[in-house]
Amino acid sequence: MFHIISPNTKIDFVGKQKLWFGISMTIVFASILLIIFKGFNYGIDFTGGAVIQVKFNQATDTGAIRSALTKRDVAISVIQQIGEPSLNEFQLKLQGDVANLGKLTETVSGALAQEMGTGAFEVRKTDVVGPQAGSELRWASIWATIYAIIGIVIYVIIRFDMRYSPGALVSLLHDATIMLGAIVITQKEFSIQIVAAVLTIIGYSINDTIIVFDRIREVIKANPTRSMEANVNESINTTLSRTVNTNLTVLLSVTALWLFGGPVIQDFSESMMVGMIVGTYSSIFIASPIFLFMARRYEQRALAHKSA
Amino acid sequence: MSRSWWYRAIFLTFTVVVGVLHVIPSLFPNFDAKKFPVKQRINLGLDLQGGLYLIMGVHFPAVYKESLVRNGKQLESDMKKQGIPVKSVTLKEGSDPNDPFLLVEIEDAARIEDFRAKLKDNWGAVLRIVSQDKNQMTIGFTGAHLSYVNEKTVSQSIEVIRNRIDEFGVSEPVITSHGKDKILLELPGIRDVERAKSLIGQTAKLEFKIVEDQKLSETQLQALVDRVVNANKDKFPEDLKLSEYVRRLNELAGKEVPEGAEIAFERIKDPRTNNIVGKQPYLLAKQVDVTGEDLQDAFVSVDQQDNMPFVSLNFNYRGAEKFAQLTGANVRRRLAIVLDGVVHSAPVLQEKIAGGSARITMGRGNYQEVLKEATDLAIVLRAGALPAQLEFQEERVVGPSLGSDSIRDGKRASWIAFGLIFFFMVIYYRGAGLIANFALAMNGILMLAILVGLEATLTLPGIAGIALTLGMAVDANIVIYERIREELRAGKSVVAAVDMGFSRASASIFDANLTTAIAGLVLMEFGTGPVRGFAVTLLVGIATSMFTAVFASKVLFDFWLNGISKNKKTLSI
Repeated sequence: MFHIISPNTKIDFVGKQKLWFGISMTIVFASILLIIFKGFNYGIDFTGGAVIQVKFNQATDTGAIRSALTKRDVAISVIQQIGEPSLNEFQLKLQGDVANLGKLTETVSGALAQEMGTGAFEVRKTDVVGPQAGSELRWASIWATIYAIIGIVIYVIIRFDMRYSPGALVSLLHDATIMLGAIVITQKEFSIQIVAAVLTIIGYSINDTIIVFDRIREVIKANPTRSMEANVNESINTTLSRTVNTNLTVLLSVTALWLFGGPVIQDFSESMMVGMIVGTYSSIFIASPIFLFMARRYEQRALAHKSA
Repeated sequence: MSRSWWYRAIFLTFTVVVGVLHVIPSLFPNFDAKKFPVKQRINLGLDLQGGLYLIMGVHFPAVYKESLVRNGKQLESDMKKQGIPVKSVTLKEGSDPNDPFLLVEIEDAARIEDFRAKLKDNWGAVLRIVSQDKNQMTIGFTGAHLSYVNEKTVSQSIEVIRNRIDEFGVSEPVITSHGKDKILLELPGIRDVERAKSLIGQTAKLEFKIVEDQKLSETQLQALVDRVVNANKDKFPEDLKLSEYVRRLNELAGKEVPEGAEIAFERIKDPRTNNIVGKQPYLLAKQVDVTGEDLQDAFVSVDQQDNMPFVSLNFNYRGAEKFAQLTGANVRRRLAIVLDGVVHSAPVLQEKIAGGSARITMGRGNYQEVLKEATDLAIVLRAGALPAQLEFQEERVVGPSLGSDSIRDGKRASWIAFGLIFFFMVIYYRGAGLIANFALAMNGILMLAILVGLEATLTLPGIAGIALTLGMAVDANIVIYERIREELRAGKSVVAAVDMGFSRASASIFDANLTTAIAGLVLMEFGTGPVRGFAVTLLVGIATSMFTAVFASKVLFDFWLNGISKNKKTLSI
């Protein structure tokens, strides 16, 4: 049998847990600071505004486009090239109120046509979002994330018990926060795609946490007198192969999407990659230590009850 | 092979065949589907086929006001019949536009309790009492009635838009309500976006009003307008919307505007450039007796003399009567044709028009443009006026070239994902890996087939969802196989290990998929358009992967162990 992870690994995960935990919490803390102080680069889905994606037949650059537009009194706030340079595709972004934005495509294509010739470009897509829709989406995203997390935590409580749920909850929050931190650092546009990626990772990364919890439960049943630490260690070690492989296959999918899926879903693919990597880590190094912590508390409480 | 195996195998084959049938029309677009049992193609989202996506908010305040005033009049006459004369019914100034109030004053303050009781009895479902003071009562709509008005307005608006779109000739448009106060519109494959938007956004309220040129002459009127505007320059900025301009003008002119009349404008266009160069004021009678609702039909005709298109109107029976009355009583005066508050034209009535038809002439310009204008006007008049004003809140347009590029990219990424996983599984789990790959292929086919069957929409994120699901689906197999490996290492026989692997792993597979499903459901609930497409494919993929990984793999495994090589001592895993 072919193995990436030898079946007889006996890594002392539990022993080093303070180290892993510490590293994680530092990264999470840094992410939270970034989110609060640097802030997201909100896309028009959230701020309102307009984005026009234009493909030019000849090579051109943002400077040329901007001067062509300003000559015709069209004020564009951001011009960004997207995808491969050979594609000559640009995104033109505008803020403002929707009433005027409605006519925007006409105005911009008109201006470009007059300056560069009608056949020199093609409008690939336009998005216009009113401010009301933007703020509604912000709230909808926040609620969606909360509902998803609550739903999953409740499910863990039902399937396991109270000792396991805090671990699940913390590892979920850990994954989501670090994903968002990565977005802030790279200042990638925070669009609805990112929200979809975060929710998908929340739903998916709990999977290997559950796999580990399942095994912990089995191992405890089989070894009721052995120490929790030893049980947890054995659980993680024996499920390591499973965890690595399942995450590897999804990572292969996500990598294919990232490299070949095209510019439209690129932001989504990148966030998914970060999420998958962080998610794997958190199942091993976050969820179980917290379970251990909770299990010990319960044990102590049970002991205290007995002696009382 | 055991009987149970045969049952399972037949069921599996049947499922796969049905799946393949559903998928073929979509995978081979030039396929002649006439003789094929399944004709449906997969439903492509706007981001893959190109088109227009609109979310429009419905503006209720005007509707509430109108309805409240109408109900107020009805209340007044009702109460009179019941012996409680009403002194006045007015709309309360400054009330919340989303919850307007009426101030009702009755003649005899002593009858107020009677009034209150009758109001509760007969009008309790519609009106509520806000406050009471001597002989005055402040009344508003009940929450239930407000909701009712909302629903009715939205569904009526949808009907009107649907009629207009039908005429426009878009295939498979989607027009639905979105939340309580919005309308969602998807027009796939549309090219002339601006025309579609103006067709949809127009309220298209048609009114016939008499021009009161006896009360104020043209020069007097123009002087009045100039005076008011100059005295209040700050209220009339350059870019002010015409409807707002008119409203403010009438408000500020106040008493100078004769009783029962109001000022409206006609846009003056330069015939050469078709640009709007000014506006002409008219003093119109406020009274409207004939509106677009009285129309039976509106269609485009071409004037024999100047060869220009115009819109021909036919009134219905009552409308024809009313129109005859209106025109008969106002011969030699001008009749203004008002569309959405703007004077379209104001021809002089030469004689009473009893035939029940009229015409709306279009402006000057080149034939094609005038024809388009006339066609669109006829469309909106036929479809009827929108009961409320719509405002564009979200608009997304995808060009067709981006759509086909996206399909190409999505397909490519999915195939590559499948390939990578295929190799990994074969290298890592060898023979068992091959089985997993079979199951994976079945999974892909079933996923697409279910999407076709449900008429669900496939979007680009949806294709990404398919690629993702392929990776997640194979997880179940991995969980089972790792378990089998463990059991083999522990010394169990091949058959026993396989059985244990499948049965023990099922529970955790179910758990794991359920949590992803929770996230998928949340995404589906709150997401729109492309993201929703992603959530749907994710959820469908979870269901199919549980089926293929557990059921289908077991069938294949059983065949392998009992059919091909019995009494295996070692397993290629």
